[in-house]
Amino acid sequence: MKHIYIALFLPFFFVSNKAISGDPEAGKARYAQNCGNCHGPGGMGLASYPRISGKEVPYLTERLKTYRAGTKVGPNSDLMIMMAKPLTDLEIDNLAAYLASDPAGKK
Amino acid sequence: MFKKSKLLSAAIFSAASLLAFNGQADTMGTPKISAMSILNGLENPWDMAFTKKGDMFFTEKCKGFSVKTKSGAVNKLYGMKGTSGYNSAGDDLFCEGQAGMLGIAVDPNFKKNRRIYVASASTAHRGSGCKDNFDVCNGNIIMRFEVSKDMKSVSNRTDIVTDIQYKPFESDHPFGGPGAHNGNRLRFGPEGYLWATTGDRHKGDIPQHPTLLGGNVLRIDTDGKAHPGNKPPKGFDKRMYTYGHRNVQGIDFRPSDGRAFTAEHGPWHNDEITALVNGGNAGWDPKEKVAGRGACPDKYCGYMPNQKEGMLPAARAEAGTPMSDERFKDLMPPAWNNNGLSQGTGSAAFLTGSNWGYWEGRMAVGIMGIAFGGTPSGMRIDIVDITKDGKAIKSVIQMPTGLTKRFRGLRMFNGDLYATVDEGEIYKISARK
Repeated sequence: MKHIYIALFLPFFFVSNKAISGDPEAGKARYAQNCGNCHGPGGMGLASYPRISGKEVPYLTERLKTYRAGTKVGPNSDLMIMMAKPLTDLEIDNLAAYLASDPAGKK
Repeated sequence: MFKKSKLLSAAIFSAASLLAFNGQADTMGTPKISAMSILNGLENPWDMAFTKKGDMFFTEKCKGFSVKTKSGAVNKLYGMKGTSGYNSAGDDLFCEGQAGMLGIAVDPNFKKNRRIYVASASTAHRGSGCKDNFDVCNGNIIMRFEVSKDMKSVSNRTDIVTDIQYKPFESDHPFGGPGAHNGNRLRFGPEGYLWATTGDRHKGDIPQHPTLLGGNVLRIDTDGKAHPGNKPPKGFDKRMYTYGHRNVQGIDFRPSDGRAFTAEHGPWHNDEITALVNGGNAGWDPKEKVAGRGACPDKYCGYMPNQKEGMLPAARAEAGTPMSDERFKDLMPPAWNNNGLSQGTGSAAFLTGSNWGYWEGRMAVGIMGIAFGGTPSGMRIDIVDITKDGKAIKSVIQMPTGLTKRFRGLRMFNGDLYATVDEGEIYKISARK
């Protein structure tokens, strides 16, 4: 009986999760516009710019919205505030979905 | 308004760039370029240096230095605090922001003395300094090591320079984290002395400071003592060959005359290539309340004006704190300013070997490049043809490597150009006519 509940619930979970977290393909395209210049391919992290690949959706979404609001978090905040300002809610969701999929792969 | 020379430079750049990509280049005898990754899976490889036999030492910014021997084996020689797998380590060595283990050089007499030199951030010589960002902070050092015959270990570490300035805390600037602007490229000059670059570490008075090491090119012997021929202004530290720089990370020597040239990051505008003059001033002075400026965040005007917002590069170049301030009588004017852009120009190597065709003797410049505030991304190697007097360029074209990477370090060896990239690889770039 327990297995039936899980089987019924899982498809709903994945559909809902995708709807909430955005479109990874659209996020990949948006990431390619300028994020990769600092954070590197797939968000691998380069030089003094941190790895963001594989972070969880809520973390990424909250952090981008914080920067978009002009709030500083860490020493490179001024750069991120400038970059996040033009992002729409949908773009943030898409970026979070893409990066949460860990496109740079495990270290 | 842009100066005429800058507009001319832009026109030359545009025309030359087209030429490099439109297929006509082959009829001019342009060398064919191929790039091959020779090491991957690295973590922020920063610099490399070769023995005459072909062993390649390399640094990883937050890990340590290793050697890839001529036979292909990679031996991890000396690590930083918290690393593992290295034959030995220094607990005083650390990475933070832009700082870490950076430049590396092999002694010209390596075959006899087995010595190499490495620059790194360190806590060993801070003493009572580094209490805040305005305090003296001796946090960047140059170390000398001896390498064992089997190339598997190092010994006899000697810290030959212990007072290069370091930024210990965050400040209110766009790249305001601790560890900013360290310079730290090491190269031996043709006369056998060690040249070391340093950065302004976001302290406004450093580049024009007579005694604090920062924003300089140093010329020293292998014990860290000043070259007797250095001619800094009276009262300045004798180790200084030049001063008034921002953050030099590219330096090499023109094969035709041995003259030193630097490639330097600009402050959101004007990366620069400069022919050095003994005792000369590169003209960077980010102090507040000088040159018509008022107060600046944390007394550092390096990102003024409008440091928090995007701004057209041309407007920023016109209005920003100048890279080469013409009010200095001992100014070394730049040969090239990257069309007024700042794209992370961070390394330099003159192309040597007839396989480079008519590019032989020109300077390859590695550009990292972050795109913001209207500045296009860099991620390329430029080839710059510098005039004999070092005061201008004849052309600049992009090397067709087929790579779009953050080029961090360049070094010539046996007619090939080697490049470290932030993406974790070292490339061998070859040319044939």
